[in-house]
Amino acid sequence: MSANDPRQPAAAKPFVPPVVSPEEMPVDYSGFLAVLFGIAGVMFRYKLCSWVALIFCAQSLANMKNIENDLKQISMASMFAIMGLVNNYMGLARPGTKA
Amino acid sequence: MIRPSSLLAFLSLLSLFSFLLLQPASGDSHFEGFDADEDDVAEEPLDPSSFKLVDLPLTVTGDSPSASSTPDSNSNQPDSTPSATTESDASESKPDSSTPAATTTAGFADWDEDEFEGLPTAADTPTTPKSAGASSDEKETPDPNSKQQGERVPWRKQSFTVEIVCVSFLIMFVINYFTGKRENENIALAWAAKFATKDSIFEKNFSLLGVGEGDDSPLLLKEGQNVFKFYASGRRFCQGLLATMELKSRHDLIAKLYNMVVPCKDEITFQVYMNDNAMDHVIFALAKKKAAKMMQKEVRDLQRFAGLVPQPANSKRWVPEELGVVSESKEVAGDLITDAVLEQVFGEKAFEKFGKGFISMHFSDQHPGAHRKMLLFKFALPDASNMADMTRLVALVPYYIDLIGRYKLSSQARSKTEAARNKAAQEAFRELQNARQEALLRKKAEKKEEAEAKLSAEAIRRKEAKDRARQMKKAMPKIKMSRR
Repeated sequence: MSANDPRQPAAAKPFVPPVVSPEEMPVDYSGFLAVLFGIAGVMFRYKLCSWVALIFCAQSLANMKNIENDLKQISMASMFAIMGLVNNYMGLARPGTKA
Repeated sequence: MIRPSSLLAFLSLLSLFSFLLLQPASGDSHFEGFDADEDDVAEEPLDPSSFKLVDLPLTVTGDSPSASSTPDSNSNQPDSTPSATTESDASESKPDSSTPAATTTAGFADWDEDEFEGLPTAADTPTTPKSAGASSDEKETPDPNSKQQGERVPWRKQSFTVEIVCVSFLIMFVINYFTGKRENENIALAWAAKFATKDSIFEKNFSLLGVGEGDDSPLLLKEGQNVFKFYASGRRFCQGLLATMELKSRHDLIAKLYNMVVPCKDEITFQVYMNDNAMDHVIFALAKKKAAKMMQKEVRDLQRFAGLVPQPANSKRWVPEELGVVSESKEVAGDLITDAVLEQVFGEKAFEKFGKGFISMHFSDQHPGAHRKMLLFKFALPDASNMADMTRLVALVPYYIDLIGRYKLSSQARSKTEAARNKAAQEAFRELQNARQEALLRKKAEKKEEAEAKLSAEAIRRKEAKDRARQMKKAMPKIKMSRR
């Protein structure tokens, strides 16, 4: 029965995605940890730190929601991690030990 | 999609690589074999003399080649008499012992495979026990090389556990990303297929389904690998409905491992935006006992307006013991827990069968946030293949939209709620005013600072002089008056 039809096409409002400001976004823990481990790996020349930073980068990338907002931090973290790895394996100023 | 065969191929490559790297360490076994032979050879009477020659001052590297070459030559010439072999041994071992001595004493840094072959005395060793010598030489060179140039090539004997573990974790992570993503998508699509496609409950209740424009708009919006949104609009009493599916993070291996320790559920949250004229003063929440208590303490409007409603003694029709009710007024609570609902979902028997997926329900016309009048439903999502289990729960949504849309409070209930709301409104208004005043003051201060900053140094000095003059003037008249 059309009388009982709850639908009201006239009242239909199109979907407006709710705007979330960058401050309200949930904290990206894995991105933060990636940066932390990346810096530690570069500073202390510790292999494991750089690898762990790379793993956290991968996790942050997997959980990325907006491409615009999050990509900057992830790219920075991944750059630190890769720099740490490169430094560790192809050390530039290492005395006497050339791989 | 990554196939397991490629994973196997990569793992086999990795294992081959690690095996190749660790191979030099196994070179010792060759020497062990020779040691055994040595023991056998030592039983012959004339061998101690050849051993004495070998015992001449040499490093470890010098010993092993010569020691190995003697049993080698012995084994190679089993038919010749012992005397002949010992004589040849003696002649051989001398150059053998001398050549390593010469090369070792010449300098460790110069020891090189090429150099060793180029030496004139070394030419004898390949000619006589050629096969044995060659094989022993080959074994000699890696060992002295690696020992004397340990600094140069350390990575041969290093272990690669960190790298292997991390790379394999990364590979598993990537594989898990794709499989987890697909699994989540399947669950979301299964839900949409059951409840949002043709002749489904939402299709019968709402005229506009989906997040896009027009008829063929996509039903679901994917906001992340584990968050999906469904929108519907065009119904009486409400402006729209937004269903958010928050699934387990199956795509993230680390989160997946964490969820094995800390349990997590797939959830779906329905937010119904009620029309302003369609909802009376209703503040009501229903959830499992513990969750209800937590909601009453944490959610702002429940905390302010509502309290836990104990089970009424007289009424038989009420929710089961496991559920807790939070409401502003008991009358409203009783009116919202209707017979139909009890029979279908919340009654004693029905709840055992159908209520497993129910998490919470919250109706409020003072909802903190952008929209004031909202109905919130939270259910647990079943498996992709068992979507029909939550049919009755989903049916609660349009039922309550209509119920709340038509519901009017009685005058007594209304008066009670009215007072509380007026107070809340006044407080809100006061806060707003304070905020506005503060904003104005801040703006004024900022403007002043800007103006001061813009002035150049000279201008500042002039301004300070003016200020000082003004102050002096203020002080001056008093003195004048006192004189007179």
